[in-house]
Amino acid sequence: MKTYDDLAGDGGSNIVGQVQALGEKLRSRLDRIKHKIALMSGKGGVGKSSLTANVAACLVDRGHTVGILDADLNGPSICHLLGLTHTQKLVIDENGVQPGTGAHGIKLMSMDMLLSSPDSPIMWTDEPEANATWVSTMESTALRELIADTQWGDLDFLLIDMPPGSDRIDNIRGLIPELAGVVEITIPSPLSQHIVTKSITKNNKMKVPIIGLVENMAGYTCPHCDKEGPLFEGEDVHELAMKKNIPYLGKIPFDPRIGQRTDSGSLYYMEHKGSVTGKAIGSVVDQILKAI
Amino acid sequence: MKFLCIPCDEQMETQTGGIMPEEKKNLAMKFKCKKCGHSIAMLTNKFETEFVSKLGVQMGDSAAETKAAPMGVVAGALAEGKEELKKSAPKDDDFEWTDEAKERIQRVPFFVRNMAKKTVLSFARERGITVIDGKLMDEVREKVGM
Repeated sequence: MKTYDDLAGDGGSNIVGQVQALGEKLRSRLDRIKHKIALMSGKGGVGKSSLTANVAACLVDRGHTVGILDADLNGPSICHLLGLTHTQKLVIDENGVQPGTGAHGIKLMSMDMLLSSPDSPIMWTDEPEANATWVSTMESTALRELIADTQWGDLDFLLIDMPPGSDRIDNIRGLIPELAGVVEITIPSPLSQHIVTKSITKNNKMKVPIIGLVENMAGYTCPHCDKEGPLFEGEDVHELAMKKNIPYLGKIPFDPRIGQRTDSGSLYYMEHKGSVTGKAIGSVVDQILKAI
Repeated sequence: MKFLCIPCDEQMETQTGGIMPEEKKNLAMKFKCKKCGHSIAMLTNKFETEFVSKLGVQMGDSAAETKAAPMGVVAGALAEGKEELKKSAPKDDDFEWTDEAKERIQRVPFFVRNMAKKTVLSFARERGITVIDGKLMDEVREKVGM
């Protein structure tokens, strides 16, 4: 009796061919984007999305074209940060979906753009009992579609705002093998550093290039007098970078305005690039540009 | 997955004609041995159906003919997706799909959606129908089953 390998093809579906075609489609989108960078942290709540949005603003300020992929499928926040509202229609044609255009012309794609209302949850089925069987597969496929079916056009940078944790990097690495690298983000607290260490170790083991480590919320800057004060008790993040043998990209003091858009729809960086925090973001971007 | 006809020692082929699966339900896929003509059906429960449907590949020879709609898997799976997303899929110059029909075809498991679409279009073409609506889809299901 013939075995699996004796049978050529798969009975008409050509699954292998389809997978190759999906890969080619993805490639044709990504080939038009010069640099792809993931911003991640093992820990939630360290300011990844706000920092991603402001790094994007800083890159735009320096004359680059930038897009953001919101890879946080279940907790998307980039639309909110870039001022994209739910009333905006999704434009779909046979070539794909048009990305949203947020503050400062930053292109974006996020699950939030696909949902019917601002308070709609990400639910993959009307039959929740079936969820556990395939939710992880669905999320991997959704991430591929968000990248490959979005008409990004020509971009200098695609920033990928990763969800908390380090599991999604496996998907991103598989989808974007030419990833310029990841920027790891931590706050000074020992707990955050403990978890981010795991994320760094995993990336090292997977040979995912690490551009460097950013110390976010490193102290508090008073918006009135620019005086700095401590925010978290914690160990020296610079030391962690040295221990893990990765570049330390700098510290960004916390400014409560960083996660907000101004009344004019601008991102924090554009309005406050001369502030202590604004300068710190600029310095981190300098380090990223040097590294890639 | 491949299917072998043991008496003939030949690979069985996916049968794509006349399949109109129920939306989000158990599914039957037909395979036939081209040597002896013996047919079998692979039956999947709703968990298996959903799982395969999330992989983003399609079954049957129609898979190669039809360009998958953008965000095709997400559109079919997202419980509270935008209207534009739900209605983006079918496009055929010769036929007009009503909104209801577009939504219903999107609910067919992704990997057999093209097969279902092909079945509906062929049914409509044979009868000179140019508008695909929910009633026609009910009729197709009743006539061709699976």
